[in-house]
Amino acid sequence: MRLIAGVDIGNSTTEVCVGEAAGDGRIRFLSEASRRTTGTKGTEANVHGIKAALDDAMSRAGYPVSDLELIRINEAAPVIGDTAMETITQTVITESSMIGHNPSTPAGAGQAVGYLISLEHLMQGQQGTPYIVTASAKHGYEEVAGEINRLQGVLQIEGMILQADEAVLVENRLNKKIPILDEVREIGMVPEGKLAAIEVALPGQPVRMLSNPYGIATLLELTPEETQTVIPIAKSLIGKQSAVVIKTPHGNVQENKLPAGKLFIKSDRRHVIDIDEGADRIMELLKTAGAVTDIDGEPDTNVGNMLSGIKKGMAKVSHEPEKEIRITDILAVDTLAPVEVGGALAGETCMEKAVGIAAMVKTQKLPMQQIASRLSQELGVAVKVAGVEAVMASLGALTTPGTKLPLAILDMGGGSTDAALIDENGSIRMTHQAGAGELVTMLIGTELGLSERAVAEQIKRYPLAKVESLYHIRMENGLMRFFEEAVDPRYFGHVVLLAGDEMIRIDEGIPMEKIAAVRREAKRKVFMPNAMRALSKVAPGGELRRIPNVVLVGGCAEDFEIPEMLMESLADYQIVCGRGNIRKTQGPRNAVATGLVLSHLGGN
Amino acid sequence: MNINEELVRRITEAVVKQIQSPKEGQSGRPAVTGGERINAEKTSYASYPRAKKGTDPKEVVIGVGPAFQKEITKTICGIRLEEVLDNLKAGIEEEGMVPRVVKVLKTSDVCFMALEAAKLSGSGIGIGIQSKGTTVIHQKDLYPLSNLELFPQAPLMTLEVYRKIGQNAAKYVKGEPVTPIASTNDPMVRAKYQVKAALLHIIETEQVDEQTGIIEWEGK
Repeated sequence: MRLIAGVDIGNSTTEVCVGEAAGDGRIRFLSEASRRTTGTKGTEANVHGIKAALDDAMSRAGYPVSDLELIRINEAAPVIGDTAMETITQTVITESSMIGHNPSTPAGAGQAVGYLISLEHLMQGQQGTPYIVTASAKHGYEEVAGEINRLQGVLQIEGMILQADEAVLVENRLNKKIPILDEVREIGMVPEGKLAAIEVALPGQPVRMLSNPYGIATLLELTPEETQTVIPIAKSLIGKQSAVVIKTPHGNVQENKLPAGKLFIKSDRRHVIDIDEGADRIMELLKTAGAVTDIDGEPDTNVGNMLSGIKKGMAKVSHEPEKEIRITDILAVDTLAPVEVGGALAGETCMEKAVGIAAMVKTQKLPMQQIASRLSQELGVAVKVAGVEAVMASLGALTTPGTKLPLAILDMGGGSTDAALIDENGSIRMTHQAGAGELVTMLIGTELGLSERAVAEQIKRYPLAKVESLYHIRMENGLMRFFEEAVDPRYFGHVVLLAGDEMIRIDEGIPMEKIAAVRREAKRKVFMPNAMRALSKVAPGGELRRIPNVVLVGGCAEDFEIPEMLMESLADYQIVCGRGNIRKTQGPRNAVATGLVLSHLGGN
Repeated sequence: MNINEELVRRITEAVVKQIQSPKEGQSGRPAVTGGERINAEKTSYASYPRAKKGTDPKEVVIGVGPAFQKEITKTICGIRLEEVLDNLKAGIEEEGMVPRVVKVLKTSDVCFMALEAAKLSGSGIGIGIQSKGTTVIHQKDLYPLSNLELFPQAPLMTLEVYRKIGQNAAKYVKGEPVTPIASTNDPMVRAKYQVKAALLHIIETEQVDEQTGIIEWEGK
């Protein structure tokens, strides 16, 4: 009996498969294990993770590690991926001319127009002039309501802006109901004596008048020229619960276009494209550019800094001089990022345009031989670097029931999306594309404005639910699930992630539907174009229809929705596509490690 | 430090004396020494209307302790109980819900008080508050000693915190996510306030009247 182990070192996990080579030339698989990769893929630091995974697998098989006859490790693909994001627009309020935010409880739906006046100066108000009263937090709700009630008969008070969270309290005590906006942090910055329009939306609806340039023009009686200038204001108020627009002579909200810069793609010649043109145009150019040798950005622009940052990071990891690092592929994705508006009065944010980029660097051959000799030294077992990753993955994928040659695999990992096609003659074509799970995580984090990457990572992985009472939750597909025992009150009312039996609470107050939509969109934006790109590169004659089988492997193939998304779109090309099921038991994991053990047969 | 029983007894006596001193607003009854009770008399609420179960789904019931606004008028850190109640109610109102106040005479334990309030509440959400200021938000189906939110360090409470407790309780009714209230923590609080807390709790417990149960307390 001879024991053979296959070891696959990936960007995020190290996987092991142990098999027994029987005398009749068959292989019997005994066990497998998976551990986090220690250090960067392809460096000696990986040895710790490999040893831990081997220990794990061998103890499951019931043998000591020293019983192994041979360890076969993969020739890891010499690509490292990285991601970066930059906003390319910026909204700045140059004078306090607008407030638009979502206080949880404004009061008195409707619109009002009037001149701004503070509660202190209300006594000096003129009869017959409409007013909108501002009150700072130092006036309690009883006092504010009393004052307004006392003067309402004399003066014409149309609306209120409060600093404290007391709109409902004040409104409940008013004799005449008016729209009231609250939680305006910088109330002192609201200029007195200016004409302002205020709008509080009906519950569950956004503001309608002030998010429409003609609505603002109607309320503030603007000329056509002035209406032109309020477009950015109206735009940044879209979707808000309540809003104020103040008519100031020079007051302005600007949407600045940041110097996003140009992208240089080098192939047989140099292609130039402006980042402003958007991700689609960039990807189109990349497709037509041919074999790319390097991608660069205009120095001292956002994109320039972004790409040089990626290169710096890669140089550090691969111990190669920065000049030697060549970006050979990128995936650009359009996205929106909530950014706090400069000069805002109530902490308003605006969705700014941004571009997310995943870049891939081809390094020189990774020092796998060094890892092999160190491992052999430490364990006293023969170690062989055997086979190219993509070939091994294809071999492993062939153990999925229902597959036949020619077979394509789509390996969706953390840093890159790889494809390989193996035909009846055993010849193999393969490709590596930038952009995979890491980019999805970054897009989710950016669009939801999450401060922690770990939260975005979890959102990517698990389905959502809302804890509606202590005894039931509503899942994202609308179904209810009931519990016998009360769920932990800490989860009450929150959106949670269902990680197996456990719940993970999302503390940002973002509605479940929005999180789900952003998550799906991020996955679609990354994996749809990448799967198409990768598969058409390996397809015979570049034609997708000539691939009969696609087996999805790698970490992202385990995702609860990515494989279904791909299946749906590949069904249009008559391709059988599905999540791999390595050795009928392993699902999409362990393909490379299994392939390494199998290749021992063919190799000898 | 040499702490013996004698010292503890003397400190207790000194604190009792201070609490009982006329300028604190209480009638000058004799000190606890030798007596069985701090307040010789027990207030009878037998003539008060008994609290009924509410039917309004927007209702949040605040259950106050037996000595609330009567034998005890200020929290352990000296905030007037009227103001505490006003802020709890304001918080509930700002979130669009409806407050109702009852006095729980059955118990002086804050968790049971809150649970009783929750059971009477039309929404099933209740707030329990001891006269010394300790507060709990409870839900009618939970076990007594579990809770939705507990604010154990009464000496560090402020009116803003009470306002937020009211808001949070209302948010539980609406099924909205509740952001935990940022609160200060002081490890020395226990040591500093232990005697006072114990005495306030005795005063509260003395007024427990299981016969009368729970009474409506709005407007006293």
